[in-house]
Amino acid sequence: MKREELEITAELAYIALNEREIPRLQEEIAKILEHFSIMEKWEINNLQPTTHAFMEKNRLRNDTAGEPQYPDALLANAEELEDRFIVIPNVL
Amino acid sequence: MQALDQWKSVFRDPDKKAYYSKEVIDKEKKLGAFLEFDPEKDTPGSNNENESSKPLKNIPYAVKDNIAVKGFHLTCGSKMLENLVSPYSATAVEKLGMAGARAVGKTNCDEFGMGSSTDNSALGRTSNPWDLSRVAGGSSGGSAAAVAAGMVPFALGSDTGGSVRQPASFCGIYGLKPTYGSVSRYGLVAYASSLEVIGILSRNIEILQLVYHTIAGFDPRDHSSREIQRTEKPSGKTIGILPDLQDTDPLVVEQYKKTAEIAEKAGYTVKPITLKILDIVIPVYYTIAAAEASANLARYNGIRYGLRPDYAENPEELVRKSRDAGFGDEVKLRILLGTYVLRSGFQDQYYLRAQKLRTVIRNELDKIFQEVDYILTPVFPALPFLHGEGGLTSFQQKTADLFTATANLAGIPALAIPGGMAEGLPVGMQLLAPAFQEDALLEAAEIFSPYLPCEKPPLYMDRRL
Repeated sequence: MKREELEITAELAYIALNEREIPRLQEEIAKILEHFSIMEKWEINNLQPTTHAFMEKNRLRNDTAGEPQYPDALLANAEELEDRFIVIPNVL
Repeated sequence: MQALDQWKSVFRDPDKKAYYSKEVIDKEKKLGAFLEFDPEKDTPGSNNENESSKPLKNIPYAVKDNIAVKGFHLTCGSKMLENLVSPYSATAVEKLGMAGARAVGKTNCDEFGMGSSTDNSALGRTSNPWDLSRVAGGSSGGSAAAVAAGMVPFALGSDTGGSVRQPASFCGIYGLKPTYGSVSRYGLVAYASSLEVIGILSRNIEILQLVYHTIAGFDPRDHSSREIQRTEKPSGKTIGILPDLQDTDPLVVEQYKKTAEIAEKAGYTVKPITLKILDIVIPVYYTIAAAEASANLARYNGIRYGLRPDYAENPEELVRKSRDAGFGDEVKLRILLGTYVLRSGFQDQYYLRAQKLRTVIRNELDKIFQEVDYILTPVFPALPFLHGEGGLTSFQQKTADLFTATANLAGIPALAIPGGMAEGLPVGMQLLAPAFQEDALLEAAEIFSPYLPCEKPPLYMDRRL
C-alpha cells in the first residue's frame, strides 16, 4: 500500500500515525489486501448482498417518551463535571 | 443438577466464600484470567419467582469484559475504556441474574475482541492453564482460562469470528456460539454487529444447555434479536467431514481423523464433503468485520467515550490524540483496513463483493445441510501457540480463523468440543449445524463425551467447597 493511500485512510479514520508505525502498517495492510484479491476470482453476477445472516426487515420501537436511564451513573464516568455538564479541554 | 451442586455453597457459607476467593486470587497470579474479580459486587436479581426454584441460584460465573455487568468495569481490554464503569447490565446478564446466578468478575480479552490470543489486551496477560508459556486463545481467552482452571462453572464470551470456540479449544473445554440473533446483543460492546453473538464456555454440557436456554430469546432492545425457532425434526445422524485439510498442523489432522472414527463408532454416518467456500471465508470475513469495526469504533473520540487527552489545539486533534493513545496496534490496523475497504472507489471491489460472496457462503452451507445434519471441522489449524514472538503472527492468526468464521458469516450455531490431546495440549473440534439447532449440537457433544472427555489441566483449582 502506498504511503499516500495509508495517510488518506488514516485521516478519514481519525488515527494519528507516527513514522515508526507507517512502514509496518503499509506492509501489513498490503499483505491482507493481497489475500483479499482471491475474491475477484469468484463469480458474483446476479447475487444479492447479505448484510445480516437472518434479518428480513428493519424493526423500530414505538416513538414514545420513556424514562431517562441511569443518567447519574453515566455522568459519574465523565472525567470532569461542572454541575451536570461534561468538561472537555479547551480546543477553540 | 448434579454438576452445579458443588458450586451452590460458595455464596451460602461465608467461610467457603472466603476460601473460594482466596483460591481464585492465588491461581490468578499465574493465570491472569480476570481483569476484575469481586464476588461481593453482583447482588442476586430479585423477581417474584420462588427463590428455591431458580435453576442457577447462587451459581458464580464470569463475564468477558466487553459485556456489561452493572457496577463492574467495562474495559474491552482497552486503555480507551480503562476507567469506564457500566451503569447497566446486558440482557444476557440480567436473565442470568433472574435465574439466580451471580457474576464474580470480568475476564480478560483481546482489545475490543480483536485477536486470537488475548495478548492484544492492553490491560493484562492471560496464560493457558495447560502450559503457562502459551496463550489461552482469544479473544475470550480470560473466560476460557477461568472455566478450564475450575474457577467458575461457566463464563460468557462473545464470538465474532471464533472468539468463544477458539479459546475453548485451546483450553480443552466446550464453547457454544449460538445462532446469530438468538441471544440478545444488548450490552455487548459492538465490534462487528452483523457477525457477533454472546456465547458460553463450560466444562459441562448440561450447564451449557441450561445457560443457553436461560439467556436465549427475543429482546426488543436488540434490533437483530429473533424469536427462537424450535424445530420438530429429530436430530439426524449424518456428519459431513473434510477429507483434505490444507495448511493444518499434522497433529490437529491426526486428532480430526480420530474424531471422525469416534463418530462412526458412536453410530453416526460419516460423509465426505467439499467446502470450496473455505478459500474465501477469510477475505470475506475480514473485509466485513473490519468495515463494521471502523464504523462501530468511530464513537471512541475522547468526548462521548474514551480516553481524553489533557490538551488539544482543535477538536480534530482532540479526537486523533484520544484514538492514538487509546487504541492498540491491532485495533488501529483493523480500523484502517475497514476504512480503506469502505472508501469511495474501493467499496465495490471489497465491501460489496464480500457481502455478495457472503451470500455464496450461506447458499453453499444450505446445500450441504440438505445432505448432512452436522459438519465436523477442527476449531483451529494449529495447537495453542506460545506467547510473543515464538507464536503466530497477527496475519497468521487471521488466516487461521477459517473454520470458525464460516459459522459467523452464515449466522449458524457452532460448538467447540474437546478433541483429545496432542503433546500435552488440548485440541478442539467443531460441530456446525443449521440455524437454531443448538440442542442438536449439544446432544451430539453428549454422545462424543465418553470418548473425548473434558480433561483437567495441571492448574485446575482444588475446590473443597
